Amino acid sequence: MYNGITVSQRRWRNAALALLCCLGAALSQLVNAQQAELAAAVPVGSVNLVVAQSSSEQERLDVGLVIFNPGIPLDASTHSMLGIFPEIRKAEAQFMPVLLRQVLVASDAWGVVRVLPDHQASAELLVTGKILQSNGTRLVILFTARDATGRVWVDKAYADVATERDYPGVEGSDPFIDLYHQFANDLLAFRQRLDSSQLRSIRQVAQMRYAASLSEEAFGSYLAEDAQGNYTVLRLPADGDPMMARVERIRNQEHLFVDTVDEQYVNLYEEMAPTYNLWRQYSLEQAMYLEDFEVRAQNRDRIGQRGSFTAMEQTYNTYKQIKIQEQDLDDMALGFNTEVAPTAMEASGKVFRLTGTLDTQYNEWRSILREIFAIETGLPPGA
Amino acid sequence: MISYYPKPAIQAFSLLLLLYLAGCSSSQSQEPRPVPNSGDRAADFSGFWELDYSQSDNIQTKLNTLVRELRQQSQRRAPGGSSVYQQAGGAVMIGGPGTTNSGASIIGLAQMAELITQSQLLEIEQDENNIKVKRELDFALTCQFYLGQYHKVETPLGTEVCGWDQHQLIFKLVLPEGLTVQHVMSVGPQRQWLNIATTVISDRVTSPFTVNRVYSRYQPQDTGYSCKMTISRGRVCTTESQ
Repeated sequence: MYNGITVSQRRWRNAALALLCCLGAALSQLVNAQQAELAAAVPVGSVNLVVAQSSSEQERLDVGLVIFNPGIPLDASTHSMLGIFPEIRKAEAQFMPVLLRQVLVASDAWGVVRVLPDHQASAELLVTGKILQSNGTRLVILFTARDATGRVWVDKAYADVATERDYPGVEGSDPFIDLYHQFANDLLAFRQRLDSSQLRSIRQVAQMRYAASLSEEAFGSYLAEDAQGNYTVLRLPADGDPMMARVERIRNQEHLFVDTVDEQYVNLYEEMAPTYNLWRQYSLEQAMYLEDFEVRAQNRDRIGQRGSFTAMEQTYNTYKQIKIQEQDLDDMALGFNTEVAPTAMEASGKVFRLTGTLDTQYNEWRSILREIFAIETGLPPGA
Repeated sequence: MISYYPKPAIQAFSLLLLLYLAGCSSSQSQEPRPVPNSGDRAADFSGFWELDYSQSDNIQTKLNTLVRELRQQSQRRAPGGSSVYQQAGGAVMIGGPGTTNSGASIIGLAQMAELITQSQLLEIEQDENNIKVKRELDFALTCQFYLGQYHKVETPLGTEVCGWDQHQLIFKLVLPEGLTVQHVMSVGPQRQWLNIATTVISDRVTSPFTVNRVYSRYQPQDTGYSCKMTISRGRVCTTESQ
């Protein structure tokens, strides 16, 4: 015994304290890492969208935009410290790719631009995004663009800041539109550095990777992958190959699904935009209010003497109004429902009813298509 | 004479205060408690609660007690001297150091307590790591509790700290200009009642002011539907079953 505590108890207490210290340190590290990531992103400034001049069909690659990673840390205890409203982030992760799609379409440089519920390795150009920061004042997104051959076009964080003048904003635009413009311009600039043979190679690899995903046995040997994950086509099927015709048909069926769910994303975007923009505007106003609060507090006309009811009421009510506004916004975000309508799809004369979230539906539909392909060809299904 | 009367309601308090300036007996003050966080098993506060006036403190009675305490404190500090005096400007002081314990500050403290504890209805949502105490006519008290961590939110407008102390949940709000508000929530056995002890502290009064509000459980009437604003779909109304 020592001071009423046994050695064993002291050990447990020390272990518990050590654990708490570790937890605290881990939390601090996470927040610091996030802040370092954000600090590295330099605001893009004012950017005009570059519209491609006479892109040929050869140059117009199809683009897949995967629903963004909302960037919500698993440790829920960090959310308030990082200023993250999880429900709003989840909604933003579906909202932002639709806006990016509009910008890429407006640049007139690309083929079909699709918003994808999940990764699609065989996309000619696949874009992923992770939201690092999003509020009414600042948006930071880490974009990665990689073509089917594995070549990385872009891998960097883009930041943009909004001011009062960016709100309420006009329909179809966005307070952070410069960020999307900059990314679209960077993509176009990269594509313009590729020659026609490189672009053709991207298309061929995309097609063969899709084929190999349906049947590794039949199409795996057409491709080579190096240690860095870069693909090259070793040979191509003959023109008019009936197996490739089947692959194309299945691929079109998959695109059909994506185009169907795409309408849901567009509907979500249109429904969400007015309220979401209002939320961001409030968020900006709140940030500005907080920033210059101390200045205003020094300059304001005090209604009552310090310690009087009037003065205390003023102090309390100021805090109360801000809290009520903040909580209203959070409640609004909680109402977002990621469940979507079931999708009915037809394939091989059968109608399939897909339910669940869009990424679940998408993966289910891909499994069905692989099974159909395997049944039709008698080949074992791909991975 | 009290120098500042912002509202007619204060007159009642002023009268009471003046009565007590004539001299009353003492009682023990309830000191504000710190905000520890023991990580103990959480009490369950969830549900709908309505204010039970019969079980709750009367603000006037609490004000009487406060004045009595301040007077006694003053007498202890200056034995034989007057604990109540009038300043040159006409304001009544109850013997606090410097500019503390003016009549206006003491009454203001009581009025603040009344303002802050005015909610008659509460709706509390609670899960393993979060609690949200929705208060009628006021902002919701929210807290995230994770093992060994205080939940602290700092802004230029104020600092919130919350956490568990055994089976009590404590919310502390430190506001500018020397104002601090603390709520200590506890629930009775079988959850028949909920007590919120609200303490208001001002740096212009040497004693805190605590008011206990007792709430009893109730079931909200079924209106058949409920509506809320959502970020994705605007105002959404859904039917609800009994």
